[in-house]
Amino acid sequence: MPAWEDVARRYGRQIYNYAYRLTGNRDDASDLVQEVLLRVRRGLANYTPGSFEGWLWRITRNAFLDDVRRRKRRPTTSLPDVDRTSLLTAPSPDEVLAQVRLSDDIQSALLKLPVEFRECVVMCDVVGLSYDEIAHAVDIPVGTVRSRIHRGRKLLREMLTWPV
Amino acid sequence: MAGLNAGCWDREDLLSAYLDGELRAGELEEVVGHLDACENCLSTFHAMKEARAAIRLLPLLDPPSPDLGGYHFGDRLSAYLDGELATTETEAVTIHVSACSECRDELQELDAARTAVRALPRLEVTVDLNEQPDVGYRRSLRRTVLLVAAAAVAAATLGFSMMQDDTVTPLDLDNLATRHNARVSVDPGFSVIPASISPSGAP
Repeated sequence: MPAWEDVARRYGRQIYNYAYRLTGNRDDASDLVQEVLLRVRRGLANYTPGSFEGWLWRITRNAFLDDVRRRKRRPTTSLPDVDRTSLLTAPSPDEVLAQVRLSDDIQSALLKLPVEFRECVVMCDVVGLSYDEIAHAVDIPVGTVRSRIHRGRKLLREMLTWPV
Repeated sequence: MAGLNAGCWDREDLLSAYLDGELRAGELEEVVGHLDACENCLSTFHAMKEARAAIRLLPLLDPPSPDLGGYHFGDRLSAYLDGELATTETEAVTIHVSACSECRDELQELDAARTAVRALPRLEVTVDLNEQPDVGYRRSLRRTVLLVAAAAVAAATLGFSMMQDDTVTPLDLDNLATRHNARVSVDPGFSVIPASISPSGAP
């Protein structure tokens, strides 16, 4: 059970990436990390010993959903950011371009997934949670986690246009 | 894509569970048995493998401020050295370290400490291990060995920190990255992503 000051250091990056892959927007991702940290701080008083990570991801997921609901009431369209991180590394411009385009393709395909599928796929493949942990965070049976991840990946593969 | 909507198997979601190591007892037999007999599901299986690898290839991004968990990698630098981080995180550390002198210094110290520990001599066992155990003797022997080992670590660390001032070797990121890549290349999930892709929209 980490002190709440440590939560940002230990989990901030994961929460940020979870949020970014779900929203495609850096500002929304930062806002979500802040919101989660506030909720963790507020919730620690009522925290009953158990899996800290299970608890944390449940909070994160609920914070994300609340945000989605808020947006539905007051719709604003924000364009997804272009992912430029990989521009800093790769040596050849062709490789850079291919990598950026690949990331962008994957990210925009992710954003087209229904949110229930998207959150399960992101928890599994970006955050690295087990099916049991996802079931706990999303509050659904493990069998449903399985089917959402599978259907999400299937839709995603249909959207991506690489030669096979 | 052909075959993806065949709907020939009502337990198709086992394919993803199989990729994620999430099968339960008895299900492996079912999956392998079905894949053996069904071309459609075999091609779905490969498609799932590609989709999964694609998402896992997305780079791990750095949050914009330390308050949000951004910037330094601290306790993950050792895992980075040992090639134990996920690919996306390795990439993030490589980008970060090339720009952050603080993490670069820490990585350098960790690498030197790791090398020092790994260079410790292998100790020879000087007693006959087949002898009947004399518990008290063994225990004191173990303590002696531990003390010797601890002293060696201390000496190596001390030696390292003393020599560090005048011999600062530049950190070779390429070398570290190569070590990591060698490890990652054995993961079959990544071999399915083509090196180049067509412009979006064109098949």
